Amino acid sequence: MLKSLIYKEWIKIRWLALAILVAGILMQINIFLKVRHDIIFVDAANYWYSVLFRNYQYFGSLKFLPLIGGLGLAIAQYFPETVNKRIKLTFHLPVDEDEILIKIQTFGAMSLIAIFLLLGLFFFVGSSIFFPAEIIIPALLSSAPWFMGGLASYFLVGFILLEPIWLYRGLYAVLGAGFINFFYVSANPGGYAPVLPMLTLLTLLAGFFLLFSGYRFRKGEM
Amino acid sequence: MYAIECKNLTHYYGKKLIYENLSFNVEEGKILGLLGKNGTGKSTTINILNGFLQPTEGECLIYGENSQKLSPATKMRIGFLIEGHIQYSFMNIHQIEKFYSGFYPRWNSAPYWELMSKLKVTPRQKISNMSCGQRSQVALGLILAQDPDLLILDDFSMGLDPGYRRLFIDYLREYAKAEQKTIFTTSHIIQDMERLIDDVLIMDFNRILAQQPIEKFMSDFKQFVIHLENHNTIIPETDMAVNIERVKDTIEFYTYATAEEVKAFLAERAIGFTDFRERKMSLEDAFIGLTRKY
Repeated sequence: MLKSLIYKEWIKIRWLALAILVAGILMQINIFLKVRHDIIFVDAANYWYSVLFRNYQYFGSLKFLPLIGGLGLAIAQYFPETVNKRIKLTFHLPVDEDEILIKIQTFGAMSLIAIFLLLGLFFFVGSSIFFPAEIIIPALLSSAPWFMGGLASYFLVGFILLEPIWLYRGLYAVLGAGFINFFYVSANPGGYAPVLPMLTLLTLLAGFFLLFSGYRFRKGEM
Repeated sequence: MYAIECKNLTHYYGKKLIYENLSFNVEEGKILGLLGKNGTGKSTTINILNGFLQPTEGECLIYGENSQKLSPATKMRIGFLIEGHIQYSFMNIHQIEKFYSGFYPRWNSAPYWELMSKLKVTPRQKISNMSCGQRSQVALGLILAQDPDLLILDDFSMGLDPGYRRLFIDYLREYAKAEQKTIFTTSHIIQDMERLIDDVLIMDFNRILAQQPIEKFMSDFKQFVIHLENHNTIIPETDMAVNIERVKDTIEFYTYATAEEVKAFLAERAIGFTDFRERKMSLEDAFIGLTRKY
């Protein structure tokens, strides 16, 4: 059963997942070409100085990629289920309704995390051509909230799309946007460190909201 | 033994009452057709049966389990056709067969592929790019391959041309009778039901008008066409008549009574007539006679 479920979800997201990965890699190639250009044609010492002491984020253009990825993946997975209330087919499968929602969401979240990890690995390898670990690791930590925001947006969009009433969808979208904003406030490197555990906890909690939408659908809210 | 038992169902949408204290059963191995005008609660009943709507009061049991909390084992025994033959339209016929087969241990793909062989679709053609008729065959084929004990079909005729409707009904009836399956179905095309069902359940606003084997219903419920002598004659109210439709001096008298009883009623009230005959009705005629034209 799990294999079948994964098969269906994979059909829904495969091209988008690949597109997010390719877009992330292309963006990073662009970033590293620019870094190379600046190091060669501006001045390596000054460039390093900007990165180390002026909080220059050479990877800043990646900021909203995880958010777009999370939104896109959630739409690819849940929108087809809402068209013609097709989620009825999913709930009718011989599996507990909450269990099947959690499995669908876990697959999507794991796929998103896998894409993020591959992008992170590419970033680490690419950055290590130009910078030492002392620069790369803080850079990864600085971008961690962006990726966490991508995961949170994935959870929240699923929750919103499965909600049966448009008014509630709107309300959840406004509240969700406010929450997602926390992940993208500009901060100095390491600025997010104190709140990162709390944001992680809230993101994981948001993963259970989907069950509430599923419950409301099954109750017949309309 | 009942496949479905609905007891004292009451449902409101907001303050609007759909029905009150509705009770009915579906015997195992029978094909029951639920008929009713728009807004009488057919889809509400289907949604309650499938656990997508919680009734305000009452409950439906499917194989003894409350329809709101069906176990996976019981859901495995139920095939469900959503109104409009909705399926995962982003898949093609191979992908969708592969997907569903993983959920049902009794999966038998032979009837599915037999139906698919009749469709002129390419192997990689997505269901979303198929015609409504082709989609109906995909949905039906998947249900047959699932091999459920109970089939719940919500308006299976919707969007189908006469050829596909006939194909759908003939396949379904043959399958259900050969395999002793139970079917609970609605359709807005009543003539389709006539070929398919064993029992009929006719709903009106807030109540059941008839629930019985279709043969008994069609033999007991009659239409008499009476030409009155005087077009000013007023036909008095009577419990004998389920419905009286009148056009000038001709009345259509719908009743469960015999011709003799109706004639006696007319004689008692000195209502003269020039012609009195029973008109053979189709199920659609009987349905309209019972529920009125408007």
